[in-house]
Parts: sequence; structure tokens; C-alpha cells
Amino acid sequence: MAWEGAALTSGSLLLPTVEATAWRLIELAGTGELWHALWVSNHAALLGFALAGAIGVPLGLAMGRWPSADWFFDPYLNVMLATPMPAAIPVVIMVAGLGLPARVLVVVLFALATIVFHARAGFRLVGWELLEMSSAFGASEWQLWRKVVLRGAAPGIWLGVRLGAIRAVSAMVTIELLLVAVGMGRLILDAQGSLDAAGLFASVMVIVAESVLLAHLFQRFEQDASQAAMGMAAE
Amino acid sequence: MITIESARVRFASTEGGAPMVALADVSLTIARGEFLCILGPSGCGKTTLLKAMMGLVPLDSGQIRIGSHAVTGPGADRAMVFQNYALLPWADVTANIAFGLELRGASREECARQAAHWIKAVGLGGFEHHLPRQLSGGMQQRVGLARALAVEPEILLMDEPFGAVDAQTRRLLQEDLLDLMQRSGKTVVFVTHSMEEAVLLGDRVALMSPRPGRVREVIEVGLTRPRTASVEREPRFTELKEYLWERLRAMRDEAADA
Repeated sequence: MAWEGAALTSGSLLLPTVEATAWRLIELAGTGELWHALWVSNHAALLGFALAGAIGVPLGLAMGRWPSADWFFDPYLNVMLATPMPAAIPVVIMVAGLGLPARVLVVVLFALATIVFHARAGFRLVGWELLEMSSAFGASEWQLWRKVVLRGAAPGIWLGVRLGAIRAVSAMVTIELLLVAVGMGRLILDAQGSLDAAGLFASVMVIVAESVLLAHLFQRFEQDASQAAMGMAAE
Repeated sequence: MITIESARVRFASTEGGAPMVALADVSLTIARGEFLCILGPSGCGKTTLLKAMMGLVPLDSGQIRIGSHAVTGPGADRAMVFQNYALLPWADVTANIAFGLELRGASREECARQAAHWIKAVGLGGFEHHLPRQLSGGMQQRVGLARALAVEPEILLMDEPFGAVDAQTRRLLQEDLLDLMQRSGKTVVFVTHSMEEAVLLGDRVALMSPRPGRVREVIEVGLTRPRTASVEREPRFTELKEYLWERLRAMRDEAADA
């Protein structure tokens, strides 16, 4: 509402009306330009995110279980978490080039630590009491993981996956805007370059929508896991 | 029979100082079918001793034997009831009670049958599908007790099991435990910091003192069995309770002088 009001009263070229943005969005979708851009961007984001999850969840749980693993990996992950994303991207490109692998690597670098730390926090949520009880009743390492740890740590794991997904999308757009102009980043840069304000707004909205959708999806998993793990199943 | 021979346990200190001696040279023999209470002030190593019997805490030296076998880890002949209940928060009463059986590879039917039996035995009928957080502390510990009994151990190790419940509930739990155990012939080792509880439940009371943890004295209770809570009116009960309190207070004074 505020947006529409501001656009109408200012009559500015740089602030498009909601209507113009919507039309531009339909137009972009119609030519297939949008879909292509989304696919190119998400290809990197998806691969990177899947990789970060596949490494991050087991690594975080292992760091929770074995102090030596925690001691070894923790400093690297802290650096990874603390590094400002745009500053690190040029370095990655120097090392890995401009192709898909470089973009995937950036996504992994920026999603991994979040996923690891939350999985580790999830493991700690299980509590030593349950681990001790399980070994007292003769649980093997495998049973311990399957029947206790994965159930108890699920809320932390899913929270990490959700935040990791948001960081993955953010990393994907950042690298496209900063250095490798492809996908959604390219769409945004093109719109900006040609003063296509409606196109710019439309592209940004698509990215925001995607990020929100992902976050929402994983939040569902997280809440379900959380309620189940705390013993709050509806009954 | 449980034989504990010169058991020593040290814990690494967290600040890198000298290691803390949790158990210093503890020797103790517990007869088959005996109900032994371990009594002592906090920090005397009574829980450590119990966990060592369970095989959860390794000894630095000495030995614990069950019959002729040395304890090297948890085993099917022993089960433990925990101070903080340690129930799986996501599992209902039935699943929690069957947990030990499930780990041992019992079939689904066997688990359900055993759980149903023990739910009745500990007085949890009607709560089969409740989750731990929907139960009071006393009921949660009934689940903990049923879970331990369901694996049919020869030896039941109980770590201050009624320490966290209110006085009335504790009294009921004690009476029910007396009732259950007197018929079972199981060996029970019961850690407590309550003198009344030790005298009410035990055949003998092992008195431990802290820093370093050691067994000071083993006292024969000598009250008749089957016992009910009415033994609390017998002179022997009061006499023993007073004696234990004197001994505990003497330990405090020693510690204060040191």
C-alpha cells in the first residue's frame, strides 16, 4: 500500500507502481527469461546447499559426540561463519574460476558452518542423561544414533537446514551480483543497467519469495521435529 | 554376589589441577538377593560407585565382579534406575518401558506384552500412551523402574531414584518398591542421601564419606522382612537413624576441621 502510494505521488521513474511491477513479472515469466535465470541460479544454490547439508549434518553431530572432532573442526568453521561473504568471493573465484563449481563452492562455504553448528547444538539437546541411559541398557553405537540421537537432535538439525537454505540463496545472489553475472543476479543487473525499475523490482521480489518459501518449508519440518522430540505430540 | 575389590576411580580435574579422587580403595561384598543401601553426603562417590557397578565408569584400579565375571561394561544381568528418570521425551510410557527390550532385539509383540505387564505392576494402568511430560515426577520414576525391571535383571542399581519427588510421593514409591522387591529375590543396590530411606529399605547400609570417597562402615539393619512402612515405629528404626545421623555429622565436623 505504502509502496503504491509512494510510486503514484512521486511519479518517479525509479519507483515503479505495483501494477507495472506485476506486468513486468508476467512478461519476464512469459518469455521464459525468468525461468531460465531461476534455473541457472538455483542449480548452483541447490547443489551447494545439498552438499553443505550432506557434509554439515553428519559433521555437526560427530562434533557433538566426539570432543576431538569438535576441537579439530571448530576453529575452521568459526572462521567460515565469521567471514563477510562479499569479501571472500573474489578469493574463491581466483581459486576455482568463474564456472558452476566456483558458485557451488561459495554456496557451500556460506551455508556449511550454520548447518554444522546447529546440528551440534541439536546433539547437545539430547543430553548426556539419555546417552548414559542408553549405554546402560546396552545400546550399540548404531542403536544410539538411530533410536536416540537422530530423534533428539532433529530440531537442531532442521533449524540449521532452514538457516542454511537462507544463507545458500543469499550466497547465490551475492556472487551473481558481484562477480559472475548469470541467473537472477544477471536479471537484476540488466534491469538496473537499462533503468527498468519494474523489472528490477520484479526480480528482487522473486528472490525474496523463493527465500521465504524455503524458510517456511523447513520451518514446518523444524516445528514438527521439535514438538515430537520434546514429547509434545498433539493428543 | 557382587564383589568390589579395592576399587579406585579418579576424575581429571577440569582446571588442569590434580585429579579428583572419586573412589579411594573401596571394597564391599553384596550377597545375592540382598538389598544394600549406600548412604553418604553429596560428593562421597556413591553415584560413582553405582555407575562403576553398572560398567558406565571404568575403574583406575581394583576390580568389580558379578559372580565370577569381572565387570567391563554394561550387561544384561544389571539394570539401572536413574536419579533424573532419563526417559525418552518423545516416546510414550509403553515405548519407554520397552526401550531396554527393544535394544536387545525383542519382537514387537514381546515388547508390548512385557510393557503391559510392568505397567500394571508399577501402577501405571491407564497411562500407557502418555508422554513423560504429561506425567508427575513420581509417575515418571515408576516408568524408569518398570523399564529396568522389564529387562529382568538379576541386579537392580538405583541412583537416588526418589530424590527429586515430594515427600508424600516418595513414601508411596518406597512402599511399592518394598512390595515389589521382597517378592522378587533380586539383588538391589540403592543409593540415597536419606537416613530414613536407607533404614526403611535396606538389609544393610554402607556408609560412605567424601574426599576421597570411601566406605567407612557397613551397618546391619536387622529389621524383619517382609517390611512395611510401619517399621518406622520400631525402636530399632529410630536408633539406627539416630546412629547414622551422628556418623554423618561427625564426617561433616571432620571435613570442617580439615
